[in-house]
Amino acid sequence: MNENKKFPTRGGLVLYFLKGSIGLFIVATIFSMVVAFLDMVSPKIIQYTVDYLIGDSESAMPYYMQLIISITGGKEYLRNHLFAIALVVIVIAVICAIFRYFNKLLNSMAAERLIKRMRDILFEHISHLPFSWHGQNHTGDIIQRCTSDVETIKMFLSEQLTSLFRILIMVVLGIAFMLQIDVRLTIVSAAFIPVIVIYSLFFHNKIGSAFRKADIEEGKLSAIAQENLTGVRVVRAFGRESYERQRFENKNRDYTAFWIQLMKLLSAFWTSNDLISGFQGMTVLVLGSVYCVRGTITVGELIAFISYNAMISWPVRMLGRVISEMSKAGVSVDRLREIMNADIEKDSPSAEKAPLDGDIEFKNVSFSYDNGTAEILKNVSFKVKAGHTVGVLGGTGSGKSTLMYLLDRLYDLPENGGSITIGGRDIRSIDMHYLRKNIGLVLQEPFLFSRTLMENIGITQKSTDIKDIRRAAKLAALDETIRNFDAGYETFVGERGVTLSGGQKQRTAIAQMLIAKPPIMIFDDALSAVDTETDAKIRAALNENTGGATTILISHRITTLMHADHIIVLNHGELIEEGTHTQLLEKNGLYRKIYDIQVQGGGDISA
Amino acid sequence: MPENNTEKTITTLPFMGIQRLMPYLKPYLPKMVIMIFLGSMVSLVDSSIPLFNRYAINNFIAKGTLKGIGIFTAVYALVLVCKLAMDFTSAYMCGEIEMSVDRDLRNAAFNHLQELSFSYFNQNNVGYIHARVMSDTGKIGVMVAWRMMDIVWNGSYILFVLIVMLSINVRLALYIFALVPIAVVLVIYFQKHLIVLNRHIRELNAAITGNFNEEITGAKAIKTLVVEDKIQKDFMDDTENYRKNAVHATHYSAIFTASVTMLSSCALALALWRGGIITMEGVMEIGTLSVFLSYALGILEPIQNIIVTISELVAVQVNVERLTRLLNTESDVADSKEVIEKYGDTFNPKKENWEELYGDVEFKDVSFHYPDGTEYVLENFNLKVPQGTNVAIVGETGAGKSTLVNLVCRFFEPTSGQVLIDGRDAKERSQLWLHSNIGYVLQTPHLFSGSVRENLKYGNPDATDEEIWEALKLVSADGIVKSMDNGLDSDVGEGGDMLSTGQKQLLSFARAILANPRILVLDEATSSIDTVTEKAIQDAISVVIKGRTSFMIAHRLSTVVDADVILVVKDGKIIERGRHKELMKNREGYYYQLFSRQFEEMSIKAMG
Repeated sequence: MNENKKFPTRGGLVLYFLKGSIGLFIVATIFSMVVAFLDMVSPKIIQYTVDYLIGDSESAMPYYMQLIISITGGKEYLRNHLFAIALVVIVIAVICAIFRYFNKLLNSMAAERLIKRMRDILFEHISHLPFSWHGQNHTGDIIQRCTSDVETIKMFLSEQLTSLFRILIMVVLGIAFMLQIDVRLTIVSAAFIPVIVIYSLFFHNKIGSAFRKADIEEGKLSAIAQENLTGVRVVRAFGRESYERQRFENKNRDYTAFWIQLMKLLSAFWTSNDLISGFQGMTVLVLGSVYCVRGTITVGELIAFISYNAMISWPVRMLGRVISEMSKAGVSVDRLREIMNADIEKDSPSAEKAPLDGDIEFKNVSFSYDNGTAEILKNVSFKVKAGHTVGVLGGTGSGKSTLMYLLDRLYDLPENGGSITIGGRDIRSIDMHYLRKNIGLVLQEPFLFSRTLMENIGITQKSTDIKDIRRAAKLAALDETIRNFDAGYETFVGERGVTLSGGQKQRTAIAQMLIAKPPIMIFDDALSAVDTETDAKIRAALNENTGGATTILISHRITTLMHADHIIVLNHGELIEEGTHTQLLEKNGLYRKIYDIQVQGGGDISA
Repeated sequence: MPENNTEKTITTLPFMGIQRLMPYLKPYLPKMVIMIFLGSMVSLVDSSIPLFNRYAINNFIAKGTLKGIGIFTAVYALVLVCKLAMDFTSAYMCGEIEMSVDRDLRNAAFNHLQELSFSYFNQNNVGYIHARVMSDTGKIGVMVAWRMMDIVWNGSYILFVLIVMLSINVRLALYIFALVPIAVVLVIYFQKHLIVLNRHIRELNAAITGNFNEEITGAKAIKTLVVEDKIQKDFMDDTENYRKNAVHATHYSAIFTASVTMLSSCALALALWRGGIITMEGVMEIGTLSVFLSYALGILEPIQNIIVTISELVAVQVNVERLTRLLNTESDVADSKEVIEKYGDTFNPKKENWEELYGDVEFKDVSFHYPDGTEYVLENFNLKVPQGTNVAIVGETGAGKSTLVNLVCRFFEPTSGQVLIDGRDAKERSQLWLHSNIGYVLQTPHLFSGSVRENLKYGNPDATDEEIWEALKLVSADGIVKSMDNGLDSDVGEGGDMLSTGQKQLLSFARAILANPRILVLDEATSSIDTVTEKAIQDAISVVIKGRTSFMIAHRLSTVVDADVILVVKDGKIIERGRHKELMKNREGYYYQLFSRQFEEMSIKAMG
């Protein structure tokens, strides 16, 4: 599934998704057509029974009816043994039930295979999309595509499209049987079909946009409630309960009024459509009676005709709906195509897994997101000696995190944007996953998975030994905290579990990184939410236990950076100062200024 | 967050718990009666259509005459048009009732939440509460309207058909009725299984959505940790599990539908056999037989529908229960009758009776534990905070620094003792009165979607643009707003997510200043603002807190040096208090320890 597929057409993507399930779909559809056929035959049998056996008519019979009669013992015998016909009806019902069961089961097997394949493909594709893609797309939008659009396509392929075949066969068969009975009556009845289909098509197209609007309005109402709940402290502290109530009630009133309006439309459609079908039935009955009285058709034929007419009336009404759903499904396919057509991350074919224990060097690195609007990094050059610790200080938006993302190849440096080398080798020629595995990057806002703490810490490891996990947790000053939880290392975190504080999350992320023992470690302001005491404890533990690793520390805190072998200061994307803590203090530049701000009042210690 | 376990042990209520919703249904009862009446009329017409066929066959065809067919057609058409009118009215009313009940319940839930105390919000997470307001209400709306209508329609259809069948031929009808219990048992059996299976499938589906959410929001972590393969494998396990369960459920529902339809055909066969015999004997006319046949075919479906509907009603009970529990939850912090009498309630304040608030705060013998705990956080705590005093609260993360602030804001009330505002017990005046005089800045700032102006005016709806700009300048946030495309009218996005955390912090600060509060509460930001910006905020703070009583939860000790009184919190208790210089004198003290640790490394290096 790793090949970089492009889907220029809707059909191409749909067929790709259908691989492995299309055969089942076809079999299921054939079964459903058999069911439709048998459903149509039953009334036929009743017609001839009522007409030919119970009544005295001499109507011409199709060969299968003659077959049934000859098998079951001839007309006279049947007249005396009507239960034989009843038995035939039951046998057909049993056969029909078996086909119906397999139709549904096979269809569901196909549909579930299809949706599994769609989800798996999407999930895999998204995980291989470059990080820049994530920046350009909204989370909610992508999730909606992966859930409701996938569902729409599944519903369309497994229900609407297969039912389209069933509807068509029913309509065709129905009309064929009806034609056998009486041509004029059939024409009258069939004349209603285009009216019903077009009317319902027209309506469904029109109502579609109203439904979308209703969804959007519901989203807004839901957002007001959501914001009110997450911001409950603000609401209370400012005493704005009345305002919130007004806001919610107004939106609620508008939303409800819109829906009631929509209900009116829907009711009008349903009932008027009902009326058209009703008139169709009435016309057939009245006209049929006239023909009957004139002797053109028999009573049995009329009864059968009426039942066929009733039988196709529902499928015909569905037809308009199915056709309008088609355009909806098309939109969903397009939305998935946008995801599937995005390019995934790629290494050059010559990418290698070179050793990463050399010096790291940034040479004239310039970078901007979105092709050159605002330069995030301007000509930055510095060196991180193997085994050394380098500190990075810089304000919000100074480009320090971007620098690390480039090193980890979350973004690739463009050809003319300078170079980043490790041990003299350009990182663009190093295998991407290998590179990332060897760089332990702890993020400022760490992400924990909805799993247990143990699984979270050991997520990069193939097998997790509780000893290794506890060792890493101890280094990150986390072991004691975890053991205070009721479930200890088995505590479930994330949406369905415990909410950890910012500092606890950061420490978990540090433990997660330490367990992999990477030769290069980066802390992207990774201790910001940890209190100073714990911060110091962790750094001391790291110093003792991770000898040999090259370390980059990013922080606002001078206390965190001051022990580094070398410190660089970034401001608006430029490297403005570098040196050791003492050297930088003497320079009297930005570093000194920040130091003074942070130290303010500290002089009192000696007082 | 711990969910209430009691949810699993819901007691079965008579009438699906509907009596608890009575107050919300009352305004719509007349409409419901009309809806039910029209619904059963429609059902009557629907079920009488075969009688028209019978009439035509018996009176025109059998007699070989077309006499009266004009009137017959006219009556038929009239009935159809009447049905259209009744059908339209009842369907429309049904929708109207659904949406109106839905709306009223949402309003009731939302408004009730505005008055609930913080302990409720601490014990239930936002997602859980949100589902009560938005989704339970919707399900109940559908129940009282459409499900009710389904029962009425199907019920009267069945009733009518039974009567007609009995009137045609009692013996024949009894043959068909014999099949009904089989159908009922079948439907109940399968429906029971299917409800359980489908619930499980919905849970699995939610987990898969959660996986997508995790993959997308955690993209950075997944990439930097290089765990794509592991995540993919686990995901495919989940989708496989879903697939198996979904197919299994279909296996059940397929047997179910196949056998119910088969049973219908059996009814038909039975009617054909027995009915055919008596028709041949001349007991029954041929048109009557055909009517009977179509009723025999059509009776099992409404029976199936009605059972499925009832089982859905039973399932909605959970939602009824949850919603009523929310509506019945009483606030831990409530104003007394006398207070409401004088100062008004949350939604109808009597501002004319409000006294001015000066900002004297006093804790008098206050003991406190959180409602969901038993351990006392404060015991016989006394503290006088005269008007204009700046109080700083310091201590480690999770040490309980917010407790005092929660008490001052009356988000919680003391277990014993009193919090006095301007010398009077806080309980003697309304919460709204107090809150209207408090400014509050959170560590994690919260903005509402809307424009910058709307957000800034949140605490002071009457603020002019000039005042807004003045407040922005005070906290050096004017630059942020100026750089936005539409200035004060710029949209901040949902929850303010179009702004950085630092920017949100500054704006929420300006918002607090605009409210011109007598008491200011600041929960200092920890990490989101860089040192230079933070310095600007610190300067703004010192301007703003002048003359106001303020409580600041401080994370950086450098910011508390100038406070009038510093409270040092450890393990939820206040262990030291005093000015900076006094506290620093105690070299054995916790404050001294905290303070010196933060600076010693730096000083050593600086001196060396």
